[in-house]
Order: sequence, then C-alpha cells, then structure tokens
Amino acid sequence: MRGFFAILLLAMGIALPGAAAENKDAAALSQLEAAVAANPDELKSANEYRKAVIRTGEYDRSIAFFEKLTADHPQAAYAWLNFGYAYVDKIPAAGSITQVILANKALTNFGKSIDLKKTWIALFTRGNSYLYWPVIFGRAPLGVADLEQAVEISRQEPKPRKVYVRAWIALGDGYWKTGQAEKAKATWREALKLFPGDPQLQARLARDGEDLEKYIYEQLDPNKRVDTDLSPLWEGE
Amino acid sequence: MTIWGWVLAVVALAAAGPQRELTDVTASAGVAAAHHNRVFKNPYAEIMAGYTALGAAVAVADYDGDGFEDLFVTDSADGGKNHLYRNRGDFTFVDMAAKAGVAAGNDPGNATADALWLDYDNDGRPDLFVVRFGIRQLFHNVGGGGSGRFEDVTRKAGLERYANAITAVAFDYDRDGDLDLFTGNYFQPVNLFNPDTPRFFPESFETADNGGGLTVWRNDGGGRFADATREAGIALSGWTLDLGHADFDNDGDDDLYVACDFGTDRFLVNNGDGTFADRTKQAVGIDTKKGMNADWGDYDNDGLLDVFVTNITDEYMREGNFLWRNNGDGTFSDVARETGVHDTGWGWGGKFFDYDNDGWLDLYVVNGWVSAGPESYVPDVFEMVTRPNVDLADARSWPPMGKKSLSGYQKKKLFHNQGGGIFRDEAARHGVDSTRDGRGIAVADFDNDGRLDFFVANANAEPYLYRNVAGGGASWIAFRLEGRKSNRDAVGAQLRATVKGRTQLRFVDGGNGFAGQSSRRVHFGLAGASAVERLEVRWPSGLRQTFDKLQAGRTYRLIEGQPAAQEIKR
Repeated sequence: MRGFFAILLLAMGIALPGAAAENKDAAALSQLEAAVAANPDELKSANEYRKAVIRTGEYDRSIAFFEKLTADHPQAAYAWLNFGYAYVDKIPAAGSITQVILANKALTNFGKSIDLKKTWIALFTRGNSYLYWPVIFGRAPLGVADLEQAVEISRQEPKPRKVYVRAWIALGDGYWKTGQAEKAKATWREALKLFPGDPQLQARLARDGEDLEKYIYEQLDPNKRVDTDLSPLWEGE
Repeated sequence: MTIWGWVLAVVALAAAGPQRELTDVTASAGVAAAHHNRVFKNPYAEIMAGYTALGAAVAVADYDGDGFEDLFVTDSADGGKNHLYRNRGDFTFVDMAAKAGVAAGNDPGNATADALWLDYDNDGRPDLFVVRFGIRQLFHNVGGGGSGRFEDVTRKAGLERYANAITAVAFDYDRDGDLDLFTGNYFQPVNLFNPDTPRFFPESFETADNGGGLTVWRNDGGGRFADATREAGIALSGWTLDLGHADFDNDGDDDLYVACDFGTDRFLVNNGDGTFADRTKQAVGIDTKKGMNADWGDYDNDGLLDVFVTNITDEYMREGNFLWRNNGDGTFSDVARETGVHDTGWGWGGKFFDYDNDGWLDLYVVNGWVSAGPESYVPDVFEMVTRPNVDLADARSWPPMGKKSLSGYQKKKLFHNQGGGIFRDEAARHGVDSTRDGRGIAVADFDNDGRLDFFVANANAEPYLYRNVAGGGASWIAFRLEGRKSNRDAVGAQLRATVKGRTQLRFVDGGNGFAGQSSRRVHFGLAGASAVERLEVRWPSGLRQTFDKLQAGRTYRLIEGQPAAQEIKR
C-alpha cells in the first residue's frame, strides 16, 4: 500500500522532504521497474517509469535498468526503444560532449528496435534523433530516410492519429536541414491539410529564411529536454 | 560652400549611417609582427599541434614612466622574439625588447604563453613576468629611460620551477602591501618538450581534474616569492586557462574566479586571513564547460562586480558564455543569454571597457580556435569520444588535427552596453569583426586623448591595434593610483565616481582576462558630464578617501593618504 502511495506521489510530482523523499522515490522507482520487467516489450509502463526518472533525476539508474532488461529480453523491440529513450532523457542534464555520447548510444538502441520491428514510433524516434546532430556529421539524410518511412506507415492508417503529425513536422525539418527548403514547405503544407490548425506546422509555414532557420534550430536544441512522453500514442484509446 | 552644398553634405553623412569609431592602425603603428605557435618536436607533436595554438598575449604598462602606455607582445615559436613596444606618444611604437633584455622568451625548452606587468618591489617601475610552458621569467625593471633595462631575477626570486603556465594575475591577497602572484597552469607539469609519459591530456571533456591547477606565489619581500598554494588552502588540479580577481563582496579583500577548460570553473572567496574558501557550488554551481576568460566589471552599475566568462558555442557544442551577475548575497546568476552576450563562438579573451564614454561598460570578445583548411576537425573528435572505453588522458587517443579547422574564421564581437540590461553587437559597424584566431585583448588610452584603444593578440597571425577615433569631445576622466601603505600599483583599489546622481564602480585590476593585461589606469566615461561630483577611493589597505568636483577630460594622480588629486599634464 505504501508503495502505491509513493508511486502516486511521484506520478503527481509531489516532493517529500530530504531522506524520506529519497527513500520514497527509490521505492516508487522499484515498483515501476517491476511493472516494466513484467512486460518488457511494452511502452506504457516504461513511459510512466521514465517520467518518474526525469522527475527524480535518476538517469543512470534508468540506463542500468534498461541495459539489464534488454540483456534479459534481447528480442523485445520496445525494450530497446525504451533503452534509447533512457539515454535521450539524460541528455539535458549532461555536458555538451557527453550529450553526443548519449545521443549516439540512443541511436544504436533505436536501431536495434527497428531491426526487430519496423514501427512508426521507432522510425519517427530515430529519424527525429538524427536531426539533432550538427549538419557536419551528415546524419540528416539518414533522418529523412527514417521519417519518410514513418510518414508512409502513417498514411496507411485509415484515419490519421493526431500524434502522427510529429513525423510530418520532423520530415519537413529533415528536408530543410538537407537543403530542400521547397520540399520542406510542401511537406508541412500537405500535413496541415491532414492536421488542420496544428501550431507547429503553422509556425514553420509562417517563417522564411533566417527566421525559419532560427526557429528550427531552437526546436532542435539538445540543451532543451526532448519530449519523450509517449502517452499521446494511446490517447483516445 | 553654398547652402545646397551643406545640405548635400548632411544628406551624404546621414546616408553613410553611424560612423566608425575604431580604426586599424597596426601597420602604421609599427606593431604588426606576427605571433607564431610553438611547433613541438616529440612523439606526440602532431597531436599536440591541435591543442597548443596558444601563447599570443599582450600586456600594457608605462614601463619607462613617460606618461604613455607601452606594450609587451609575445611570440611562442622556438627562437621567436618577444616584443617590448615603446610608445612614442604619436601612435607609433618602437621595439626595444632586445635592447632592454626581454626579447628571449622562447627556446627549445620554453615557450612563452602570457605576460604580466607588476611592480613586485614597490619601486614605482613596472617589472615584467613572462608566463611560459617551461620556466617562467621575472624581469626586474632597473630603469634606463626609454630604451629600458631589465634584469632577469627569476632564480633570485625563487620562481625557477617547470610549469605549463598559461596565465597569471597579481594582487595583494594577504594585504601586506606587496603584490603576490597567481599562476594558472594548463597541463600538469609534464615537460611538454620531452614528455616521459603519453598520459598528459585531459581525462574528460567535462570533468577533467588532471590539469596543472593554480599556484599561489606569496611575495615575501626582499624580491623573494614562496609557493604558498597549500597554506592559502588551495588545491586545484583543473585545466586553468584564466584567473580573474576582484572584491566581489566589497569586504576589502580580493576574491578569485578560476576559468577552467574541460570542466568546472572555480570560485575562491578570500577569507581575509591569507586563505581562500572554495565557494564554487554555492556561488556559481558546478559546470562542465570550457571556461577561457575571467574579466570582472560592474556592467549594470549596481555597485557590485560581475564576471564575464567565455565558453564554446558552435553548432556542435552549444555551451554559451557566462555573464555572472552578482546577486550581492554570495551568489551569481548567469544572464548571458538575456543580455545577448552568450554566443561568441569559441571564445577567448573578453574585456569590459567603456569605448564610447557613455558611462556603461561595453564588452569586446575575441574567438576562434584554429582557422586552417576547409575540412573540419569536429568529426574526428566525435569519432574519438564515441569510441568505447577511450582513454582520453592518453595523447595517443587523440586524432591529429593536420590541416583541418576547428571553430575557425569566427567574427569578433563588440558588445555595446545599452544601459545595463542588454548588449548589441557593433563589431562590424566599427570594423573590429576580424576572423583571425584571437586570444588576448589589452585596453589602454595609448594617445592620452580620453578614448580607449585596444590591442588584440592573435594566434599564429598578425595582431591588431585599434585606435579609438570617436568624433565629438570625449567625456571622460582617468586616474593613476599610487599606493603607499597599499601595494604601489594600488591593484585592488576600488573607485566609485558619482556623476549626475549615478555612481560607477571601477577597480585597479592586476591582469584579468585571458592573455591580455589592460592599463592599470582607471577610466570612467562620463556621458557628457563636465565633472565628477564625488569620487570615493577604497585603497587595498582599507583607507577610504573622497575627492569632490573633479574636472572631466583630465587624468589625475592619486597618492594614498594625500588629500589632493594631482592633475597629470599631457
């Protein structure tokens, strides 16, 4: 029962003082880890766990947990995906060089997930991750390739889910980052027809030149926390 | 001229926009000799070349006492000569280094890295400290007029010890009336010219603790210095690149900001008893950036000194600079982003000074690491850092840079202070946005016209000397301080000038800022005022003096304890 309340408090972001809070946090994380371990190839419980990790700053614990989970369940595609997110979640808390190391490890794990199962979320995640890399590394074209596949998967669904707009936005960003400004705009325009009123699409389409460049770089700033909350995937279920 | 002629002239002027107030006079002034990086000859030389593009430095002082500020400018090549440029008073200079005995700073076992003027024996003549990868040099100024005469007293002073020192400041930390020396060391004291181990590179990009740290050289009088680092309670081993001292809490003694590459900057608070306390965590927090410069100034005129620190900001590493605003309670807040000074590329020296005499400190920042071929070195570095289990401390792990560039060809920034809250870059407008690999800046009024000029030392390139030619009558006042009970240079003295109800704080600094020592004279821009209503001086000894109604447009000599300010005739 105490564990349940600890999870509840953690989920609500309510802080307890000092050592008591640390003990409660640890207990709550253990409970969440047990839930993830019971269902390793699944996203929902891992999503709750990672949200708690972000609140408590226990990034290394989370990385170690998913490292063990993937070792125990090497065929669990979503476990690898979650392992990648665990690295991404730590990036804003790291120095600039460590950010690169973490981002690189995340990419490796996203790749393993895709090798096991080509899902929209995995392709979008890896494709989007490539876009955060400086142009000099030449990773944006790899991002475009993943995002084109993610958009293709979303097209095959009879009714577009709201969350799919993210791949369209990122694909446009990818075209823009690879010097295909017109293709980027066309992508965002097409997406706006599917997702009318989307503010991110509107913001991009309202900008040009340096203004657009600044805006996109602001969105792809590795120092800002990337939203890895996957709950929009099951909204409305 | 007819009335139409006047109209046309006015229209033409208006069309030309705001005028340039700074002009490049490097060649005509005779100070264009280029700096050369040291080329090492050891098994790691190819790798080291990418990490030792350092040593271009400049230090200002009036070594011959003729009323005009002179320059000491470094070279780093084996056999390269350092320059002692005597100011002729007409914005031309003549190199007296060889004659004066201070040219030989580079040989197969020593490379010049920085320089500092300090009157260590309080005889009224600035002496010269040459910072080196190798054995440092202390030259005693024994007079000799314009040609100058210096005597190498390094051994006599007890300073003969190998270090890979990159920076130095001098201030009287123990307030005993003489200047002590603080040297910042980059590499640990491995002999870089013939290393006996390959493990002398930084062990981490963010938390490296295997650098040279900081050494405190206490001035014991009689021309002797003693290593008092441990006694002072200091035990640092970071990759020090710059030291900046100032009395941040206005308690009468000077504190120290230590800018460190590859890891955490340190903030040391002077306990007032000859020791320092490390207050990094409380004051500024633990950072993982690449600190390269520490210059203090009260940019917002709130009576508290703030610190400007450069870091690396490029597409591949978006650290951003620090502008640490002093909160007055022992803590600082970084306001670099909101004030507009966070992005200066791969930043090096940054100096506060009021170039347009409007009463607000502006900021000039130089930048750029290696400007070479079109290929970038960035992917090579990232290939290394993402390699599993890479031992970064081992020089052999690092890829040679070859002819590649790293954060090269970056434009310098001249941030005009818009009134204490925001800065606007005016470098291009004034033609001071060069793309050479800048290192150090020294600010001084070389022609005594009340407008601050500056010299920029560039790595492996010619320097720049910018003359301030702002139109209109300059509105300023300057002070040269002489300590009696305090150290003769009065380093650490604080001056508060009140003009039209607004008070500006300046202080005598002992060499703050990376690779550049500015004039010891204290300069105030007066924003059109004709006089300073009240000047309060707090000497390092603790003595406070006030002076009322001092006329603008003049330089005054203030002697500790003497009630009248003496005008220095130009």
